Amino acid sequence: MALPLQPGLTPMEVAFLCEMEMVTVIPRQRLESLNLLGGPTPALRPPHRAPIPLWLALLLKRQRRANILPPPWLLPSSLDSILKYETDISPQTFSPPPPHPYPISAQPAATDYTSPPFLPSSTADSPPDYLPYHWLELGEILLEACPDDIPDPDRVRTLLRDLREVRMAKMRASIKDLEGGGVSSLRGVGAMEVAEGRQFIVGVMDELRKLGLSREIARREREEDEGGGAGGEDEDEDMGFE
Amino acid sequence: MDISDILQDLNTRHLDRDPFAENGDDYGEDEQSGQADLQALTRAWVNERGAAELLPWPKDGLVERATNRIKQQIELVETMTGDMDPKTNFSLIIIQTEVERWKFLIRSYLRARIAKIDKHTLHYLSTPALMERLSKTEVAYATRYQQLLHGHYLSSFLGSFPANLQNLNDTAGGISMIGGPDEEAGVFVRGLGSREVGGEGSVAVRGRGRDGDGEIDVQRGEVVIARWSDVRDLVSKGEMELV
Repeated sequence: MALPLQPGLTPMEVAFLCEMEMVTVIPRQRLESLNLLGGPTPALRPPHRAPIPLWLALLLKRQRRANILPPPWLLPSSLDSILKYETDISPQTFSPPPPHPYPISAQPAATDYTSPPFLPSSTADSPPDYLPYHWLELGEILLEACPDDIPDPDRVRTLLRDLREVRMAKMRASIKDLEGGGVSSLRGVGAMEVAEGRQFIVGVMDELRKLGLSREIARREREEDEGGGAGGEDEDEDMGFE
Repeated sequence: MDISDILQDLNTRHLDRDPFAENGDDYGEDEQSGQADLQALTRAWVNERGAAELLPWPKDGLVERATNRIKQQIELVETMTGDMDPKTNFSLIIIQTEVERWKFLIRSYLRARIAKIDKHTLHYLSTPALMERLSKTEVAYATRYQQLLHGHYLSSFLGSFPANLQNLNDTAGGISMIGGPDEEAGVFVRGLGSREVGGEGSVAVRGRGRDGDGEIDVQRGEVVIARWSDVRDLVSKGEMELV
């Protein structure tokens, strides 16, 4: 009965999570609102657009009951400019994630702590210039399920592949930051990229930690002796990891 | 008031009403709670799948509530099945698909927990604070499992050892026999926002390292790699989540 899996989501589980993302559909048939466990679905009335979860949209699409509107960031022009950003403007770090759609106001709200896949980052009115957290899975799923709804699907496919390669190199390069320890940021990373890199990155991190354990303890003791003075900056000379 | 209070509130309101009378107009309130439960359950599942150690069982009755919802929905499906109108039929497919998705979430969540309990049974039974993290049924399961295991060890080899070597929880020589999960393991976490009122929403994460300790401010939605022990408190406060 116990789950025989390592810590961390598998790609299949990431895809499952991605199917909770909201997308916009144009229904081709009427469908009354349904009382689902996760809340009622909007009543579908062609030709009015409606936001529904991706898994439901895929079900409707497969039965030709609806068309899926691709999110604005999945258009070739948007992907093109994001790719430019990834390669030219910011060759070291990922392009930034979309801004949080629910800014924090003085009044605490339930949406303050909402995170993907429950943020509307892939509906028809989401911002075009940012890759959302589930970009790769969502793009692949849509290309697979509804290439007829996406303008220029072949070009989108190529651009997604290019983006993936550029970003994979960045993911690999991020391992260098792990050497000294501490926290390292992967701002803008995608879910599938995390799932893919996790085993390797966590493995490297844990092994390095074990190797450096005695040094870390020695440093801590020394810093305590010095009265908690600023340490750490002066011992970079023997890092030689490259 | 934080999200667990809100959930609790919605939960009590939900229980006040007749569970079978919810197909009418009063679904509005329930919508919030259904959506909130889905989000909470998803987060609990991803956190549990990401962490090496067992996380506390949700105290607000989240799993029980979700199981009840599924039960009611299955009853609804059963009454609807008699109706062979093709239109209802399709609605039925949608409802069933969603039920299966919820069932998968709960199943995977519980199985991930059982895997951790199996791995370090004695560890989680060793102190009251750790036992607090298990649900009632999980405590029963862990105790029974440990009994079986101990019985098996005794009959297969432990019984022929000298009595003073038969303990499974010896701490002689300063090393405990009870192994626990690796609390320093690296994890991927996302900032959700500070719970302090009036803050900018970023969470300060202090990470320990070999050559120096670092502290960075993690924005909402930003993913970082850190040691589990450095972010555990932030995750339990709901200021961060595992991804």
